[in-house]
Parts: sequence; C-alpha cells; structure tokens
Amino acid sequence: MKTMTRDHWALLAGAALLLLLPFTVSGYVLYVVNLLMVFVVLALGLHVVIGETGQFALAHAAFFGIGIYTAGIINTAWHPPFLVSIVAGGLLSAVLGYLIGYLALRMRDIYLALATFAFGEAMQWVFLSWEKVTGGSNGMKMDPAELFGYKLTNDLQAYPFVIVLTGLMLWLTVALARSQYGSSLRAVRESDVAAMAMGINVKAMKQSAFAISAAFAGIAGGMYTLFTSFIHPESLGFQTTILILTMVVVGGMGSVRGAVAGAIAFGLISELLRQLMSVQEIIYGLILMGFMMFKPKGLFADRNRRVARKAMEARKA
Amino acid sequence: MSTRPFLEVSGITVRFGGLVAVNSLSFEVARGSIHALIGPNGAGKSTTFNCISRYYQPTEGRIVVDGEDVTHHAPTRMAGMGIARTFQNLELFSDLSVYENVLLGCHSHSAGTLGRLLRRPSGEIRDLVDSLIERVGLTHDRETRARELDFGHQKLLEIARALALKPRLLLLDEPAAGLRNRDIENLDHLLTELAEKDGITVLLVEHVMQLVMSISDRITVMSFGQKIAEGTPKEISGNPAVIEAYLGKGAAHV
Repeated sequence: MKTMTRDHWALLAGAALLLLLPFTVSGYVLYVVNLLMVFVVLALGLHVVIGETGQFALAHAAFFGIGIYTAGIINTAWHPPFLVSIVAGGLLSAVLGYLIGYLALRMRDIYLALATFAFGEAMQWVFLSWEKVTGGSNGMKMDPAELFGYKLTNDLQAYPFVIVLTGLMLWLTVALARSQYGSSLRAVRESDVAAMAMGINVKAMKQSAFAISAAFAGIAGGMYTLFTSFIHPESLGFQTTILILTMVVVGGMGSVRGAVAGAIAFGLISELLRQLMSVQEIIYGLILMGFMMFKPKGLFADRNRRVARKAMEARKA
Repeated sequence: MSTRPFLEVSGITVRFGGLVAVNSLSFEVARGSIHALIGPNGAGKSTTFNCISRYYQPTEGRIVVDGEDVTHHAPTRMAGMGIARTFQNLELFSDLSVYENVLLGCHSHSAGTLGRLLRRPSGEIRDLVDSLIERVGLTHDRETRARELDFGHQKLLEIARALALKPRLLLLDEPAAGLRNRDIENLDHLLTELAEKDGITVLLVEHVMQLVMSISDRITVMSFGQKIAEGTPKEISGNPAVIEAYLGKGAAHV
C-alpha cells in the first residue's frame, strides 16, 4: 500500500537536486545551500514548540548560539569527531530549553513571548560580554570540524554531512508529529483543560517541547560550525529569531512542509537581500507584509483546505 | 461485585471567597447506574461536578471513587482511574480531526510508557477509535476537523472521546444542552446502552428534563448549594420542594 504522495515526489525531487548540486555549482551556491539547511533545522525546531505545542518561544537564536559556541569551542579545544561537538551543543541547548520551558507553566501567549524574548536578549548579552569564552564583540574564530582526522575546510566538504543531518532532523520531526507524543503536544495546543481530562501531563508536554525545540536549534548551531569558522554575537539576536519565526508562520503554522518551505524561501530572500545592504530591511518588511495580507495562514494553508475538500467530495461520491 | 456505591460524595463544601457555592453536600451513585444532578441555575451542580472531576478543590468533605479517596488527586490522574468527563461549553481539540480527538482519549491506556508515547498508536487502538466513532455515528466525518462539525455532532464527539478512556465512571456536564429533539433521543439511547450493556456508571448534570426523567435511575436535586431532594424520577417529579425550587413558592399548590 505504498503510494507516492505529492510529499514523496517533492522529497525525491529535492534529494535528486541536492545530489546533483555539488557537481554543477560553485562554492558560494553550496554555502547558501548549507546555510538554508541550517535554517530548515532551526525552523523545524521552532515548529515543534510553536506549531505543534502552541507555545510562543522567542529565544531561538539564543539556543542556536549556544549550539554554535559549544560546538566551536569543543572543536577548537579537542578536535573530536564533529558529531560529538554537535551532540554536546544540542544537549546543552536542550537542558537550557527545558529550564526556560518552566516559564510556559506559569504564563501564556504574549507574556510567554516577552519572557522568552528577554531570555534571548540576555543570552546575546552573555555572548557579547563573556569575552574569555566567546571572544565577546571581537567574535570567535573556530577550528574546522573534523571526522577522524579528515578536516572540513570548505563548503563542498561540509555539504554531504549537512544534507544528511538535515534529512535526519526532518525525519525525526515527522516521526515525532505522527507519534502519540505529537498528538499530545497538539492536544495541549488546542485545549490544556481537555488535555488534562485525557490524562495528558500538560506540564511535561510543554517543557519537553521546549527542550526538543532548543535541541534542534543547538544541533543547527553545530551544523553551522561544519562550514563556517567565525561567529559574532551580532548575528544571534532578536532579528534572527524573528527571521526563523517568519519562516514558520509564513510557511504555515503547524505544518512541517510549511516550516521547510518557509525556511528555504525566507532563507533565500534574506541571503539575496544581503547584497542590497541598506534597503534590505525595507524590502524584507514589505515582503512579509504582503504575505500577511494575502496569505495570513501561510503558504500551506490552502493546500490543507484543498485536501479537506477532496475528502469531503470523495465522501459524497 | 461489591455493593458499595461507586461514587461517594460526603459533606463537600465549596467556598469562593465569602460565597458558599456548595454547602455540605452528600450523595452516592450506585455502580452501573445513571444518576442525575439537577437544580435551578446557580444551585452548585457544575461546581460539584468540577470537584468530582478534580478541577475544583472542595473546602471540606471527601470524594471517594470505587473505594479510593480522590479528594486530593490532580485532574490528570483521573483519566488513568477510568474517570472521564465532558465539558459544559465543549472543550474539543478544535483544529484536530474527529479521529485524532478520539485517539487522544486513549492517551491514558495507549501511551502510558515513554516507549509507547514515542510510537504511533497500535492497530488495536486505531480499531477502538474507529469503533467509537462509528458508535456515535461520525464515521463519515472521521477526517473532518472538530470545529467544522455542527453543534450536536461536536457534543457526540466529546462523548466518544470520553468513552475512549475506557471509563468506569462517565461524568457528563449538560450533554443535552443545545441539542435538537432527535439528537436528544439518540443521546438517550446511547447513555442507556452505556449503563446497561457496558456497565459504565454515569453521573450527569442536566437541565433537559425530558432526558433526565427518561434515563435516570436516581436523581439528586440541588438548590442554593444544598441537596433538597433525592429519589427516583417518579418521586422527584411529584416532590413539592422540587417544584417550589424550580417554579417558586406557591407553585406546588396549583
């Protein structure tokens, strides 16, 4: 009973494209693709806590930063196989995410958004001021990631690992969403009063969703160190959190495909606009406003409605 | 089978600040019976209901279910004990499908361990969900989002979701409110069947007398936070104190 759905075709086409890419394009394009994959993992992480669980967590860039600094520092100090440093960054982020998730047990909506925003700002301040560890406002140089002596020194060498890790995280997200745990997260999003009556441990769901979301961001940070050698706290502030939030919202809240499509679309837009410097923010803002006016439910909202309508017609026939 | 009542409410009092919503209320619900809690608006029925389902904490008194004192249990614990509830103003998972709503009702017995939680529901559970959807007549709406159902169907969905808990005690807060006559008749059949065939003990708070009088084995009547009468539907419908509470002083003599 394995039939190919549109999602399968899209995955297959995407995989084929990614497989052919390194033979056809230059280093910069591969850098952009690597970066887009990091954005995909970041967006998937935010999707878990906002899209599935309905908790407004606005500190994603901070967890991303924790992943980058942790992996970068470990790579520079000990040169272990890079998976070790990526997992370490993911774990540290997860622990902090779990602790921050405690806020979600006390407050909701805009209050939760503000409180997590405050944590994000505080973390950026830590990155900036803890000079001994992070290099502060001078930024931090990182040694290349290694795998048993094989050094990843350019985008092409990092590319296959970035792709495989992204695929793995995507698979994890889908498996999570389809599990009973995923159902329980959505139950909390829809009504925590009813979730309690089902025997769902609402507090555990909220906190674990925060931890998983942060772990994704931490792993994305580790992936980032596979193809970059420098990090500056400037790029780990609220703007980055908002960029990732935009990806999730514009893609279509609660939809995994939406998070992936949003990450690719807005990752590209923000990278392309980088060339335009001063007007970048204005154009970005206009695009965002356009989306909110004409596609307020996100790119994939219409598709879901089409699927529902199809099911309805099939029923009548 | 023990003869001890399945649900024992002993002397519960609920105070909200200075207001006494429920005043030293006691009643018992026999195993496998349908028991109704009725009374005029503001009598304290829903407050009592929410104490039993553990959403409110009584100031005094004890609540015992099947011999176990649950007075201080967290609401989350009740599902695991086989105590299911519905809500007065519907608390569905509105953006989720009918199927996923009922599936979530299985949470306490299908996703108990971490390993099972992280897996997809078993075939056995999926079959149970489908059979419950069929039982309340929503098979054609299996993939429809809860919010897109009409009101009567949403009420039925909430009952199907409660049944997915494999309940021993079913707590229904105004299940017939807002239903059309035909839907009330269906509900009547369903609840009677649940008590008689499935052996589920049912406690309902209800205003629709047509349903209450038809299905209840016993009725407890509350007014101003106190129990004013208790008995079979026949005894209650002829009770002057009940008529007075509903229609005002003097009405009983008309």
